[in-house]
Amino acid sequence: MLFTRRLMLGLAMAGSMAGALAVPAMAEGPTEIDLFFPVPVDGKLARDMGTLIKEFNETHPAIKATAVYTGSYDDTLIKTRASIKAGKPPAAVIMSANFLLDMQIENELTNLDPLIAADGTTKDQFLGQFFPALQGNAVINRSVYGVPFHNSTPLLYINADKAKEAGLDPNKPPQTWAELTDWAKKLTKRDGDKVTQWGIAIPCAYDYCGWMMETLTMSNGGRYYNEEFGGEVYYDTPSMLGALTWWNDLVTKHKVHAPGATPGPAVSTSFISGNAAMMMLSTGSLTYVRDNAKFNYKVAFIPRNVRNAVPIGGASLIVPAGLEADKQKAAWTLIKWMTSPEKSGWWSRATGYFAPNMAAYKTPEMVDFLNKNPDAKTAVEQLDVAKPWFATYKTVPVRKTLEDEVMLVLNGKKQPKEALVAAQKAADETLKPYNAETSLKLP
Amino acid sequence: MAATMRSISRRDEMSLAEPAALPVAASVAPRLHVLKRFSSRFKTSLPAYLLLLPSLIFLALFTYGAMGRVFIDALYQRATPKAPVRFVGLDNINAVLADPAFIGAVVNNLIYAVGTAIPSIGLALLFALALSRTHAVNSALRAALFLPVLIPMVAASSLFLFIFLPNVGLLDHYIGRLLPVLPNWLGDPDIALYAIMVITIWKNAGYYMLFFLAGLQAVPEDVMEAAHLDGAGPYPRFRHIILPELKPTFLFVIVVATLNAVTQVDHVFVMTKGGPSNSTNLVLFYIYQQAVEHYDIGKASAATLLTLAALMGLTALSFRTMANREGGP
Repeated sequence: MLFTRRLMLGLAMAGSMAGALAVPAMAEGPTEIDLFFPVPVDGKLARDMGTLIKEFNETHPAIKATAVYTGSYDDTLIKTRASIKAGKPPAAVIMSANFLLDMQIENELTNLDPLIAADGTTKDQFLGQFFPALQGNAVINRSVYGVPFHNSTPLLYINADKAKEAGLDPNKPPQTWAELTDWAKKLTKRDGDKVTQWGIAIPCAYDYCGWMMETLTMSNGGRYYNEEFGGEVYYDTPSMLGALTWWNDLVTKHKVHAPGATPGPAVSTSFISGNAAMMMLSTGSLTYVRDNAKFNYKVAFIPRNVRNAVPIGGASLIVPAGLEADKQKAAWTLIKWMTSPEKSGWWSRATGYFAPNMAAYKTPEMVDFLNKNPDAKTAVEQLDVAKPWFATYKTVPVRKTLEDEVMLVLNGKKQPKEALVAAQKAADETLKPYNAETSLKLP
Repeated sequence: MAATMRSISRRDEMSLAEPAALPVAASVAPRLHVLKRFSSRFKTSLPAYLLLLPSLIFLALFTYGAMGRVFIDALYQRATPKAPVRFVGLDNINAVLADPAFIGAVVNNLIYAVGTAIPSIGLALLFALALSRTHAVNSALRAALFLPVLIPMVAASSLFLFIFLPNVGLLDHYIGRLLPVLPNWLGDPDIALYAIMVITIWKNAGYYMLFFLAGLQAVPEDVMEAAHLDGAGPYPRFRHIILPELKPTFLFVIVVATLNAVTQVDHVFVMTKGGPSNSTNLVLFYIYQQAVEHYDIGKASAATLLTLAALMGLTALSFRTMANREGGP
């Protein structure tokens, strides 16, 4: 008896305490919003994000934003989807730019058009702030769903000291695949059958591999996917066959590229240690190379076979669906502030990504920075020939069907043509449900 | 002679490593009697249950609730992205079983389970036998062998990522002088799974060693002495006294090792993401891919159910074997 009475008392006390805690939350105060942010490159970014959000809160007393670290790009997608499902979506998320279409298909994004209109600007004016190459991944069916935040393109990194050693002029980097093959041959050092220095390294791990295949395919005149419609990819095409065959030739015919699939960090470490004389890697690695290379290096455009073209990479700010109006407004204020020229430029200098807002490059700090680090300019200049990053229904699995096959080719287990036929078949299978309700749903 | 010693020792001594001595019902009581006894017992243990209530609530919410949810989710699916979810019965389970990626993951997982359990248990036994006597040197060595257990799997994987780096990693730095062509440890589908397995063995051997050390304490000293006096050499003593004494430990460690082979995929996640070309894809990572990359909750839940069923079956079987062994002659 005594026991139960004590229990009741305890329960009552717990109840009143819970009530007391709930009261302050209902009182008037700043609009509290969460920002989910991934750290795709290295840990320092989390500290930079803290600095940025602190400054925002100090200048915007009506809003209290909290930056929530959510892991990699993929993890951020999981956590965002989980919180949308739980009915408590974050107010804004820095989302990998090629996940936007898939999220829009799943009705998980807020259309930003009304928020832009409420500011009294037009869509064209708003998008006009950003490099045109970035708009493809932010606009779906002529509505804005994302605001570019930090972006990248692939670059060719050259160890200038080794190039000079081999009698090559690092100030005239290779511009075509033929020249690049030639450079790679001259830069490969052999000791009998054993290679002591590779001519070139191109990363291939899930995510990076698809991006590099898109890079090579675009430079070969191809498209990889249908930019206007999320139900088609072009794997089994001459342009991609040429791209994959050339990559395979670098491994098996010319023997200037290490066999097998090599992830991004392994490629950059290999370049830094002098084991690979050239590499193709994201501009996002530029800060890392600048800080760690103990030799002179050069960055150049990705060489072409048919035309100069590269995909963009990076992330956009999005507003998840199912948010209260006041939080939506607060998120919009935060997003506009974060993508303003000053903040955009600051973030670019801190991370190595380029700033999507064109006006950022007119700010005095940025002009100063580019004068000191002219290599950061190459990525921005390459934007003229950049195109959107592949985005389809179920982007990741569709990409993976290609990557699995490319890895088999690089390991000498399949020929390029049969690999691409298999990849196309598997991708079409994954895209089938979407096509069934769009392109193949006939009256 | 060895047989009599074994039976004596089993009756008298209980192995320390034996985790839970499952009580085996001696006789079946009439139902009414059981009910009555149950209700009276329940009355006396009511305060205990009330004290347990908070934990039970959380267990129900976060463990059994989640399992129930998985069970329900496994029965629903959408036909097209915009279509509403509808009841599909066993379709998801059939789809998982027909998926070559799932079959591939199961095969990989079997290779992985056998290839990690046997070497790590073998090493653990070897370590335990070598370090069974407690003195300063052995304590230091035990600590050194146990150290990998203390390192979180994610941190260990990140370290090994650099050890395995082709051409420039620690491994190639030393082995590179000996091999004509350097293997791409994590980038070659023929090697990657074995590279992953090495990490698991390195990580778990020290953990299993602990169980064997505990098991060895239970080997009766007098029996060993008697055998010694009878002129039994080290191998016969090991074969006929130590090994039979360690049987319950073996069973328990095998169960733990098998469970680990299915539930520990942190290194796959950090190092290979199941690649290259699905060669290191394990069942749990396959489930993650279905849920996150394919955003197919139905199929992910179905695969989870299949895995849970297999694991529970396996665990029940091994504990039953254990209970039988303890109960029977």
